Amino acid sequence: MTLLEIAGLSKAYRGIHAVRNTSFRVEQGTITGLIGPNGSGKTTTIDCITGFQQADAGRIRLEDRDISDLPPQRIARAGLLRTFQTVRIYDDFDLMQNLLAVTAPFADVTGWDMVLRRRRFREAHRQAARRAQEAIDLVGLTRLIDAPAAILSYGQKKLLALAATMMTNPKLVILDEPVAGVDPTRVNDIAELLRRINRSGTTFLIVEHNVEFITNLCDHVLVLDQGRLLAEGAPKAIRTDVRVLDAYLGRERQAERDPAGLQ
Amino acid sequence: MEISLTYFLQLTVNGIVLGLLYGLIAVGLALIFGVMEIVNFAHGEIVMVGAFAMMFALPLFALGYWPAALVAMLVTGALGLLLYELLLARIERSEFERSILVTLGISMILLYGMQYLFTATPRLVDTNLGFEGFELGDIRITWIRCVAAFAALAAFVALGLILRFTQFGLAMRAIAQNRDAALMIGIKPRQVARNGVMVATALCGLAGAALAPIQSVQPAMGQALIFKAFALTVIGGLGHMGGALVVAIMLGLIESWSAAFTDAVWQEASVFIVMIVIVLVRPEGLFGGKRVRLG
Amino acid sequence: MRVAGLTALALAALAILPLFVHSNYVLSIAISGFIFVVCAAALNLIYGFAGLLSFAQLGFWGIGGYAAAIAVVDGKLGFAASVMFAALLAAVIALVTGFPILRTNRHAFVIVTLTFALLCALVARDWISVTRGPLGIPSLPVPTFFGFAFASPTRFYYLAFAFAVLALGILYALVTSRIGLLLKAIKQNEALARSQGISPMPYKLFAFVLGAALTGMAGGIYVFHLRIVDPTFLDFYYMQTFLIFVVLGGAGSFWGVVIASALMVALPEALRFTNDLRMVIYGFVLVVAMLVMPRGIAGVFHDRRLNALRAKLA
Repeated sequence: MTLLEIAGLSKAYRGIHAVRNTSFRVEQGTITGLIGPNGSGKTTTIDCITGFQQADAGRIRLEDRDISDLPPQRIARAGLLRTFQTVRIYDDFDLMQNLLAVTAPFADVTGWDMVLRRRRFREAHRQAARRAQEAIDLVGLTRLIDAPAAILSYGQKKLLALAATMMTNPKLVILDEPVAGVDPTRVNDIAELLRRINRSGTTFLIVEHNVEFITNLCDHVLVLDQGRLLAEGAPKAIRTDVRVLDAYLGRERQAERDPAGLQ
Repeated sequence: MEISLTYFLQLTVNGIVLGLLYGLIAVGLALIFGVMEIVNFAHGEIVMVGAFAMMFALPLFALGYWPAALVAMLVTGALGLLLYELLLARIERSEFERSILVTLGISMILLYGMQYLFTATPRLVDTNLGFEGFELGDIRITWIRCVAAFAALAAFVALGLILRFTQFGLAMRAIAQNRDAALMIGIKPRQVARNGVMVATALCGLAGAALAPIQSVQPAMGQALIFKAFALTVIGGLGHMGGALVVAIMLGLIESWSAAFTDAVWQEASVFIVMIVIVLVRPEGLFGGKRVRLG
Repeated sequence: MRVAGLTALALAALAILPLFVHSNYVLSIAISGFIFVVCAAALNLIYGFAGLLSFAQLGFWGIGGYAAAIAVVDGKLGFAASVMFAALLAAVIALVTGFPILRTNRHAFVIVTLTFALLCALVARDWISVTRGPLGIPSLPVPTFFGFAFASPTRFYYLAFAFAVLALGILYALVTSRIGLLLKAIKQNEALARSQGISPMPYKLFAFVLGAALTGMAGGIYVFHLRIVDPTFLDFYYMQTFLIFVVLGGAGSFWGVVIASALMVALPEALRFTNDLRMVIYGFVLVVAMLVMPRGIAGVFHDRRLNALRAKLA
């Protein structure tokens, strides 16, 4: 069943077409990869899908719901979560508070409940705290649970951001470069973790540069180049696809010939 | 209400002079914002320091207007340098609230400090130009206003030339337009910022010196000016100096005219209401683009 | 639990203070302190928790002061009703203006709120038919509550004290609740908060309106201590004072701001500074704090704890 459908997505900035008439689908239950050279429009696409940018054209559907014009918080509440390429966490909060900020476990709790610490709030809080503990354990940050997030290393912050997506049971989680800058020995652990979460029902769309990571993990891979969908298919096929190689390597050959980018 | 043409023209002339002086202040504010992204809350107080400097310097030159005004500009320019090196240089561009609070603190130190030292009593300042003037038809223009307008215009022309034709000026424009690109071609941000602050504070000094004989000199004089200057800078577009100037002259005219036509009640308030509306509707100001620009 | 104990002790001490201190001067300082600490805490809610540097607080302070005075003098309302009216008026104006103002970017927000405050000052001076213009409304009557007149400084002390305890209590309950957490999340990283399902606008608006209401109420009470309200009530000096308290205590720290307020009210008086000199010192405090400890005294403690943790976990 198609969980996410992008149709005719386009977005331009001051004449530069970041995304051009792109269409693709993400099937439920899969781990789908999204790769492409720098500047191919991956992050812009993600921003448009998650409501952080308004596309110039095109429609975005989550299951049977059109989410094209919704603001980010509504999309998150609809079950589509994301992480950020420049890792975003709350520096002043400790790890537990970072995860407790997520709304979903408190969806039915009103403001009064919160201020008066009523039963409904306390229940939700108890469950959320338990969930947060599990999530932190899962990503291996248990030791640091009371520490302010500011002291985490870059890779640890990425893990924290990942843990935040586990506070609820989202339909789809979009990860923007989850292993970039992470200790290479941990990359496989993360892949394993993602597989585990996937098995319990979460669909993933993963943007990454680490092609090996994508190939080992993903069921399906989408390739963007210069704002367009260049190719898609099984990882093995993509790795040997001439067009994909050309897009990546062609850039390298071009760079060798013309380092200053003048031609 | 019957308004004679003469009266109207008189008001217009006064309004233009006022507008030009507002312009000096607003342009300095825009300049500082352009090179540092700091809204200088102490700007009005620096004008006040210039006015006081003029007041104290005049007797030293037998009430000579120009030497005293020059001294005032040097004093405020030096003050700007001092403030920059000691304080402003340490604030990152991204820390907007912090810059506001620091300059607010500076404004408090200057204002209440001057009040403590010299009391709040307004003082009249006399120059060798006296209070005489010349007649233009039926309109009377005092020399001090005439000279003030002339000085302001000269300053704008000089500033315009500096920005267009000197290395110093081009560097400032570059930083204001596209900081990253400017850094990449080797422009030193500290130097540019320091220069920008000094030029802006020197303009304040000139404005203060010109205002001293026209209005009375008192520690609180900066406060009344500064909020209007903010309004102008924002309406013109933060960082856009040409815009600030145009709006300043318009403000001077409006203030001068409305003093005669409307009830004083809403005269000042209308400026602020206009400003709020513009900021909400078009946050980049009337002339500002997506980026802050100088000129 | 230590905090609760210390708080109880402080409250008890303040409650019995008038029994030992009979100087009207000292009582007057304390009254100012109680009122100002509420305003600082309200500003802290808006700036320290919601991240909005709002100069509009000065405007709401003035609106509250004038509203209460006019309600009593012209509207012939009782003191309590007038003060409630002041809070309500401030809240309504905050709600209406908050919508457009809170949507703007950082630069514009600061300038618009500043202009709002100036506008309020101008209206106070120029809307003579309502505010009596530059002369203001002098000789405000002694506040009474069901026949009990707060005629003496001691009685007014208890009025201000009760108000402070109530207002701070409400703010404490709020900022230590999940709402406080969410406000801080929005302040730290609004994009992240949105990606986690938080709508920033309702929370910001709530903080803005509550801050306005409490400050309006404080202003409404304070004018009856001054026994006069005039345009000088909207002097920028008040805004500067509230800001210093917040900045020194540490924006975002409830206790930091409360303690800093107490110190900053008591110390200058103890050192017998004149008004101007006190403000010069406030200015220095502001500048030094912003350069050396931008997160206030609370921030210094926070950083120490951070470094200790870093060392422990390294």
